[in-house]
Amino acid sequence: MSNEPFKRWLCLGCGFLYDEELGSAEHGLAAGTRWADVPDDWVCPDCGTPKHLFEMVEIPYASGQPVQRPTA
Amino acid sequence: MSTSFVLRASERGYNKLLSTGQSSSYIAGHPEARLTRHSSFNFGPYQTGHKGFGRLRVFGDEVFSGTGCGYNIHRHHNFIICAFVLKGQLTHINTVGNIDQLSPGDYYAFSAGSGGKHCELNLRSEDTNVIYVWILPDQLLLPPSYSRGRFDPVYERNRLVTLVGNADGALRVSQDVKISRFATDKAVTLEYRLSAQTHGVYVFAIEGQAWVNDLSLSRRDSTGIWGGGDRINLRTGAEDTDLLILESAP
Repeated sequence: MSNEPFKRWLCLGCGFLYDEELGSAEHGLAAGTRWADVPDDWVCPDCGTPKHLFEMVEIPYASGQPVQRPTA
Repeated sequence: MSTSFVLRASERGYNKLLSTGQSSSYIAGHPEARLTRHSSFNFGPYQTGHKGFGRLRVFGDEVFSGTGCGYNIHRHHNFIICAFVLKGQLTHINTVGNIDQLSPGDYYAFSAGSGGKHCELNLRSEDTNVIYVWILPDQLLLPPSYSRGRFDPVYERNRLVTLVGNADGALRVSQDVKISRFATDKAVTLEYRLSAQTHGVYVFAIEGQAWVNDLSLSRRDSTGIWGGGDRINLRTGAEDTDLLILESAP
């Protein structure tokens, strides 16, 4: 298990957020799935932008977010 | 995204999208609407240019041609999307609860935050020209919001007017950016003072002729400047000139 802090990736086509800590269960990515382990042919579930056009961002969450918490 | 550059009008990315065929679910209008987009920064199929400028990611100079042309309702998160109407009429619909019609000089800031949809339409037969700017937020998943303002090129001519950012009368957004307009009908010299020396300034010539620190810009040319100190010298030509000035933290 990597000790690297979890990172957040933003779709540059629409702003969809992928947070490694949360994963995206509804899109088949378990909590804790690192960006490097997301398949290369994965695309933004909202707009279809390819994985390589996401940008890693160091932006904090707004108060009360994220509503979705990582499961143990 | 903090390297200075000059981008001539013809060097921008160009896309033409039709309301028929592959893009018909994305592009509104029927049967023969077409949307053209000149991009200053990488967006969509254009990926060989500048990635952005500080906290700015998208700068699209777009024309909606044909009745009903525009973007069908689609989803966003996080980005603060600003639209500045230059020509025609734009109908904007969003899931914050707004149905808005904007004319030349009108502008809006739509913060998609935790999730929102919007639709952009030209309901008239003449072309609509809009500049779209996307800004990264300083917090993720903010409550979605929408606000609009108006720039009057007659009453607000020959002086700098801040439209977006931390200034009197400007639309507030959740990011360290400032968007200003400088429209002149004669030669005017202005010293633009940055909010912080670490900031950069992207100047886009909507119309006319201008000089930015002695660099000449013609219609639709632009320049991004970093490390230029705390002020930038702007000079406009004798004919009508219209500049959009975007200041951003790195």
